[in-house]
Amino acid sequence: MFTTARAGFSDALNDFIGRHPNKPEQPVEFPHKTHYAKKIACTEYCHEAVVSGPVAGLPSVRTCMVCHNAIATDRPRIKQITAMRDRGEDFVWRRVFNYTPQAHVKFNHAPHIRAKVNCTTCHGPIHEGTVAQRNVDMNMGFCVNCHNERKAPVDCLTCHF
Amino acid sequence: MDRRSFIKLTAVSGTTAALASCGNPEHQLIRFVPDEDIVPGQAVWKPSVCPLCPSACGLTVRVMGAEADVVRNGKAGVVQILAAKKLEGNPEHPVNHGGLCARGQAAIQVTYHPDRIAQPLKRTGNRGVGSYEAITWDAAIAEVVAKLNEIAASGKAGSLAFFGRSGSSYRNALIGEFLARFGAPAPMSYDLFGDDVLRRANAVSFGVAQLPTFDFAQSRYVLNFGSDFLGTWNAPVSQSRAYGDMRQGRRGVRGHFVHVDSRLSQTGASADEWVPIRPGTEGVLALGIAHVVIRDKVRPAVADRATAAIAGWKDGLPDYAPERVEEMTGVKANRVERLAREFAGGPSVLPQVRTQPGVAVIGGTALAHTNGLFNALAINALNALVGSVGVPGGLAFTPQLDILAAAKMTGRPTPAASLRQWAADALSSASSVQALLVDGVNPVFTAPRAWKLRDALAKVPFIVSFGSFLDETSVMADLILPDHSFLESFTGAVPESGSAMAVVSAAGPVMKPLHQTRATTDVLLDVGRQLEKPIELPWQTFEEMLTASFAALPAMTEGSDAWTDAQEKGGWWGEIPAAVRLKPDTASPVRLKADTTSVVSGLSRTQPEFDGDAAQYPFHFLPYPSNQFLDGSTAHLPWLQEMPDPLTSAMWSSWVEINPATAAKLGIAQGDVVDVTSAHGTVQTAAFLSPGIAPDVLAMPAGQGHTTFTRYASGRGANPVDLLAPVTEESTGAVAWAATRVKIARVGDGDGRLILFAGEFREHQEHGR
Repeated sequence: MFTTARAGFSDALNDFIGRHPNKPEQPVEFPHKTHYAKKIACTEYCHEAVVSGPVAGLPSVRTCMVCHNAIATDRPRIKQITAMRDRGEDFVWRRVFNYTPQAHVKFNHAPHIRAKVNCTTCHGPIHEGTVAQRNVDMNMGFCVNCHNERKAPVDCLTCHF
Repeated sequence: MDRRSFIKLTAVSGTTAALASCGNPEHQLIRFVPDEDIVPGQAVWKPSVCPLCPSACGLTVRVMGAEADVVRNGKAGVVQILAAKKLEGNPEHPVNHGGLCARGQAAIQVTYHPDRIAQPLKRTGNRGVGSYEAITWDAAIAEVVAKLNEIAASGKAGSLAFFGRSGSSYRNALIGEFLARFGAPAPMSYDLFGDDVLRRANAVSFGVAQLPTFDFAQSRYVLNFGSDFLGTWNAPVSQSRAYGDMRQGRRGVRGHFVHVDSRLSQTGASADEWVPIRPGTEGVLALGIAHVVIRDKVRPAVADRATAAIAGWKDGLPDYAPERVEEMTGVKANRVERLAREFAGGPSVLPQVRTQPGVAVIGGTALAHTNGLFNALAINALNALVGSVGVPGGLAFTPQLDILAAAKMTGRPTPAASLRQWAADALSSASSVQALLVDGVNPVFTAPRAWKLRDALAKVPFIVSFGSFLDETSVMADLILPDHSFLESFTGAVPESGSAMAVVSAAGPVMKPLHQTRATTDVLLDVGRQLEKPIELPWQTFEEMLTASFAALPAMTEGSDAWTDAQEKGGWWGEIPAAVRLKPDTASPVRLKADTTSVVSGLSRTQPEFDGDAAQYPFHFLPYPSNQFLDGSTAHLPWLQEMPDPLTSAMWSSWVEINPATAAKLGIAQGDVVDVTSAHGTVQTAAFLSPGIAPDVLAMPAGQGHTTFTRYASGRGANPVDLLAPVTEESTGAVAWAATRVKIARVGDGDGRLILFAGEFREHQEHGR
């Protein structure tokens, strides 16, 4: 349990008891489920870089305002975003999914999207909740199992380079 | 839960509780909404043009999302921007073919320099002190407009002076047009290491006032007189690439390279043979070689035709017999004969090795003498004699775009005075100089001290600098209107050499401006519009000028236009339409003009003259453009300060090179502090013992010794320009920077001012064991 793959004692403890409390407070309580219900794909606006590069990207206030300039402008959270836009301020998103630096893992989203791996495979049922929460335990076994099942390469240098 | 897990859990939870309280509170900066759409983690490569030397190499710039600190609405925060991260050579560009020199690699630091001037500044203290306050662009431009109105109203438009950059570029064309319409003389451009003497010689010899392009890739023999063509001279990236092809690019053929110079430069260190020569006698050696070629009919077919064409050579240059040449140059007579036979490549000389085509190169120190023109003409004639002009493996000239014609400019400014003349005028009591605009150049640092340029600037009532850094010239300015960096602005320049086909290097900005800067070209257009008697140029912005000018060129790809192509590829190259080709037509075969060497034989100034008495000042002084800093214009870039010099491995310092035998005689050891003195000044620096220098020559790299030029260059090293005599080459007025005599005296032990990367230089000692 005390391997270098964990950042600290609290991580090790949480891992040990199977708890995934990584639900940091975000600048805006973004309801993933509402947007999923409106049939907006993850890759369509907010995380569009996921199909082309290593990182998925997080939306800026500009992205929200593409639609919310006109849609649901009376809701308190949208008003909050509009006010931010007017001040010229952007979100300070807190990171939810990450590897510890000690793990020396490099992850690239794009090939996984090309291989038609569903977002929920790694990120869990985010589309059913509001703010993103780390509800899947991404350790090396998790990755390797899936790579074995799908006959993806399991060479060390696939991820550790 | 079993017992073991329970114990683990107790231990872990206790420790965790204790440690949890020492976590870092998150520092949360305000994030601002970005101005552009950024795909995270994705790099885009955009073309640009290297601004650091006139060879105008094409760049490709890696641009990615980055975070920048900004202040908006009075609040500090961060914002995502698209930022240039790395410069590489543009693989498609005909000058550099994907190569980029170390200086070009470091050019990215121009944009992110911590001491870059970020907004307009107005002088508050005395001139030269460098105390400035920030003002708004509107106020700054209003001040310039008011001053220019005042000058125009007093009817003295000719008293506006401009220090511009050298080379042919759209920027210079726009500046020239602005000045012409205002009624002021053309911009003055001054380069200490400029090659005006060679341009002049080429105009006389070939009718083209331009630096040559060498086809080294197909040469078999290169005879180089003093030029540092692999390091700093002409188009070094293009030449280095071609040189690589000459040595290793052909199966079974390795071109031979002979270097003639009194110092073994970086280029000389690559040569097969180094011919040390008395400074300033390169032309004599060339004529000695020509003498042997004619006398022995080494290459009769070409030579006969050439001797007929070159006036005064029919009798075979009797004054330049090898024995005479030995007396004058110090190169042994039999060596002159051997070089002549090798260079002209007669079949009897090296039966198994062909040395044709061969080419002679002149540049750098060989031109920097009072007889520089003679040297250059002699080598031009030597090239003509062996038939290496305008042929594969020889020299040619890059066809040039006539920017003025392409931009349909009408104004023809009155020619500018030389910098020396201008300084003298400004200092005279009847001085009429009212205002001076400086476009990012630093002549105060590079002009001989005897010209008193700094004193002249002190007398000018109003100086505006467009520079990005507070250098020795900018610090004299009353107003500083900082330009964008090259990565933030539209650029367009015509490389003078380095390509067989015509090239225009041009590109749009690769990133948004980091600071409150404005493109100087746009500022001038703006000022022109606001004048009482407005200067109505046909374009609102510099971009419009480029768009309009490129309409004169044909598209490179079908269905496109030249400007779109240029922005995509980083330039335009191909066949220039006759209407906008610079005359004379440099595309046609280059031929020696008939009267050329009447000049050589009739030239009075065949012998170099040196400033300083040989008894009092026993050494020739040879400053040279530094590999890192050229004439000092890139000394503010820390990567280049950090870069070890290729021959000495010195970094962050300056030094004077001295022959070990001479040093031993004077009791000078490696790293000792020495005073080098000429009749015009003294510099104190460290001695570097180098076997690659003639015993009666001291060499010193230029570039260091800045008094004010950002935190990295200020107060570091010494400037050899402080020693230079104001001696010029007569016909061009170019500084003869190798014509000063000096003496050297040991001051004390080394004090750590010479920093060597590779420890001690032991080779010469080990050979003598």
